[in-house]
Amino acid sequence: MIRSFRLYEASISTLSVLLLYPYSYEMTISVAVKNLLQDKVRILLSATGVALAVMLILVLNGFVTGLYQQVSAYLDNSPGTLVITQRGVTNMLGATSLIPTDTMDRALELQTVADAVPILSQFVILNLHDLKQPAYLIGYPGGPGTPASRGGPWNIIQGREPLTNGEMVFDQVLAKRHNLRLGDRFELMGQEFKIVGLSDGTTSWMTSFIFLRKVAVEELLRAPEATSFLLVSQEPGIDQAQVINQLKQLEGIEVLPKETIVANDTKLLVEVFSTPLQLMAGIAFFVGVLVVGLVIYTATIERQREYGVLKSIGACNRFLYKLVIIQATVAAALGAIAGIGFALGLAKTIMHFRPEFLIIFESDLIWLALGSSFAISLLAAIVPARTIAKLEPAMVFQRGR
Amino acid sequence: MKNALDKNHMIEPCIEKSHQATLFAKNITKRYGTGSTEVIAVRDVSLMIQPGEVVLIMGPSGSGKTTLLLILGALLKPTHGEIRMGEEDLVAMSEKKLPEIRLRKFGFIFQDFNLLSALTVKENVAIAAQLAGLKGRQARAKAETILVDLGLEDRLNFLPEKLSGGEKQRVAIARALVNDPALILADEPTANLDSKIGQEVMRMLRRIAKDQNRSVIIVSHDPRIKEIADRVLWLEDGQFKDMVEMALDPVCGMAVERENAPASLEYQGETYYFCADGCQQEFASSPQHFLSPDHSLQHKV
Repeated sequence: MIRSFRLYEASISTLSVLLLYPYSYEMTISVAVKNLLQDKVRILLSATGVALAVMLILVLNGFVTGLYQQVSAYLDNSPGTLVITQRGVTNMLGATSLIPTDTMDRALELQTVADAVPILSQFVILNLHDLKQPAYLIGYPGGPGTPASRGGPWNIIQGREPLTNGEMVFDQVLAKRHNLRLGDRFELMGQEFKIVGLSDGTTSWMTSFIFLRKVAVEELLRAPEATSFLLVSQEPGIDQAQVINQLKQLEGIEVLPKETIVANDTKLLVEVFSTPLQLMAGIAFFVGVLVVGLVIYTATIERQREYGVLKSIGACNRFLYKLVIIQATVAAALGAIAGIGFALGLAKTIMHFRPEFLIIFESDLIWLALGSSFAISLLAAIVPARTIAKLEPAMVFQRGR
Repeated sequence: MKNALDKNHMIEPCIEKSHQATLFAKNITKRYGTGSTEVIAVRDVSLMIQPGEVVLIMGPSGSGKTTLLLILGALLKPTHGEIRMGEEDLVAMSEKKLPEIRLRKFGFIFQDFNLLSALTVKENVAIAAQLAGLKGRQARAKAETILVDLGLEDRLNFLPEKLSGGEKQRVAIARALVNDPALILADEPTANLDSKIGQEVMRMLRRIAKDQNRSVIIVSHDPRIKEIADRVLWLEDGQFKDMVEMALDPVCGMAVERENAPASLEYQGETYYFCADGCQQEFASSPQHFLSPDHSLQHKV
């Protein structure tokens, strides 16, 4: 993404240099647009090429953004600024951690620690309708009298939090896919639980969250008083480094800021996919450049006599470059607008049929798409511009050309 | 109308007038290739065009007419020679400055009209004015004035494809005029027009030259254009040559060069040219017989 933005900035500066020329914009734009609109099939092809490229760039990047959000969703919505893990464990999702049983009490003894929430988590494979479905089991200290969202579901859209050991909150996307409703019984690791709540924002295409009371998970895993992670909140006004240093005195643990855990999880779970996705987005960009480049090049070759005429009557190369660039830019702008529309439609369709795929279009991403289309237009104009530069004005006097 | 011009006769007496001339070209040569592949397209040509003068350059195909026109229009650099427009030396001028010169000093008229297909008649003319720095509205107003003068008031918003050949050429003339050039260069301007329209367009060009004191150089094969030219130059093998005046031998009907005819005879105030002494003697024995309507009379070729 950073690379794309650099390209965008480079495109802007290149264009600004090209724009500093003595002819009126009105005339250049008018001629360029009329040239372009004279062949409607051509502009349609060109805009469609860009639109598809922009759509792919947006959807693939939106998917990566969605992955980032899904991976960090749990910690983003849980209390605390620090996470205590088992020594040597630097991830949360996809890692197994078991910290010493007295860690929470010893942490709470520190003056600098305001609260510590113990979490017992386990990665499990569910058998749903004969399909293996990975899920992330979270045991949290919920129940009557405990404040809401202490490591549990942060957005229950139906039902409530589990109040007893036999209740669970199920991710709503997973529940919907497998026709599970409130009040349904669900067997997990040989024990039956009642679904009392459906949570939102707790799924990804890799895994979904299931929330139980911590005690219930301890029973399920036959690990009484076991804790995987401790979500630590520090007292206000205390330097985080000081809290970390104090907590590090405890045995058998690692103390990591939440952001570090998120970054490690992201590295583990997202970057594996983001590289091929970025590669695909890059290919889409390249295809967009080729399509627009080919269309503008063909248009330039077809009109080279007219460009020659303009040269012979005194137009300089810069004016002609700008004609080509504006044609490419208009085609790319139309394509970008259509591409954004296509992307929104496609994302909505994908998320409707497969809600576990979260596709997020942030404003940065829209700018990236516009920047990409702009870069496409500039790159696509290079070869036609070179063709024009080589054009001899005298060629218009040659017969039969 | 002067028909024949020796380059030295043309240049030397007028050398002191070169600063008043619209264009002054001296010893222009253009070579392509080197060694065995060398072709000399234009060979040591000199030319001076005065304001308001219409000059027609004729010659056979491949004689170097278009190459000379390109050189005079600053579209092609000569291998050597000098071309001046006022104080400016076009040959020495850098490539970067030439578009500006072409834009403001020259107007080009092409055989194929070469209008921009996506633009209307008015826009085709206005674009040249805008390239020269006029703002959009001013450029369009100026274009409109010229087009109306040329009788195209009903065609201002037409695309070129909707125009007849004569109308297209008038638009091309308007485009050539819009920046008030001192010199208009026309390459075979009547080649794609029928006879009547071609003559109309050429008369229009002459009127413009005279009324607006602009110089016009026309390169053409079309002998009818001679009528509107102040001067006709004959280019052959890249050189200006005297226009050869031909005459028909009244006895045998053979075409003979007047100046190089082997024999000639004055009869009743007319000069007759013969291919040989025999024909002259035969004519002298009975002139009335050879001048009767049954016999071909003298023709200019």
